[in-house]
Amino acid sequence: MHDFAEWLSGTAPSVAIQSTLWVIRVLQGTHLLTAGVVTGTGVLLSLRVLGWHRPDQPFDAVWRRFAPWLGVSLAIMVTTGLAQTIGDPVRELTATSYWVKMAALLCAVAGTLALARAGRATPPGRRFPLVARIIAAAIILLWLALPLLGRMIAYDRAIWGGLSLRR
Amino acid sequence: MNTHAILDGIQGSPLASWVRLSGAAPVIESTHVLAAVLLFGTVLVVDVRLLGLADASRAFTRISRETLPFTWIAFAVAVVTGALIFASSAHTYVGNTAFRLKAIALLGAGLNMAVFELLTARGSASWQTGAAPPRAARIAGLISILLWAAVVLLGRWIGFTKGYDFAIPPGVELGFPAGPG
Repeated sequence: MHDFAEWLSGTAPSVAIQSTLWVIRVLQGTHLLTAGVVTGTGVLLSLRVLGWHRPDQPFDAVWRRFAPWLGVSLAIMVTTGLAQTIGDPVRELTATSYWVKMAALLCAVAGTLALARAGRATPPGRRFPLVARIIAAAIILLWLALPLLGRMIAYDRAIWGGLSLRR
Repeated sequence: MNTHAILDGIQGSPLASWVRLSGAAPVIESTHVLAAVLLFGTVLVVDVRLLGLADASRAFTRISRETLPFTWIAFAVAVVTGALIFASSAHTYVGNTAFRLKAIALLGAGLNMAVFELLTARGSASWQTGAAPPRAARIAGLISILLWAAVVLLGRWIGFTKGYDFAIPPGVELGFPAGPG
């Protein structure tokens, strides 16, 4: 991975991002703000499954309210995150926090889509099945972990100690 | 007591030393980022309603009541972690332009919220539902989004401009090469 990251950092797209300071700052700023929307809407959707947010509203209505914001923000967040990875591959790809964050992101997205299916199968006014509520609680933790892990990339050795992928 | 002495007192406090030396700083800073993005994400739900862009059929006071508690929790965590980070390098932060602008944006966001609660929201019974809240409410929503976004972005900006201000542990030789002459 170190060798791949070194190679990537020498490619034209990576050099272009690295060498333009304002691009890096715009990418990071946009990434942060969209992470806010993703975390907020992702957590509120899962809280609805637990019955702790908008319990009077059918899940489908809550999904229609938050899913578009979640989807669009997620797309921008992933795109800006990918661009940052290309721009500074050694920092990103050699951090344990980065890979844990990617795994958490995949699980959170897959879990949220599973909740949407469970929501359609659950009649309005009925409680969600226990499995769906457990998944929702786990997804909340995953959404909250994303910004935490994102910042921890800068401190990979301090956070992970011997488990850090950084040399 | 002048500002310099106050900052000295903060930066020299046992709590500030603990943040600098215990290894907790990365966790505190990461938690601060989490709280800031969660604050922005949840306050946006309320502000978007104020702008009439979503939740038009849901009463504004209801959305405010069911969403803002999360915002306040995030705000409290951000304040505590932010205070710890500030204490660890008080002099550096006070001298940093991005930090000063962030403090102004925070103050503005608080002022906007106070004006809204004390004046605009008083007449909210007449616009609880519907896609077009009055102009004052929409302006408050827009200002809120802009100021909270500014708080988050300026917070990131501090990291770009603060420099590296840390105590060199005793016995550590950084080994910078001697300059010419």
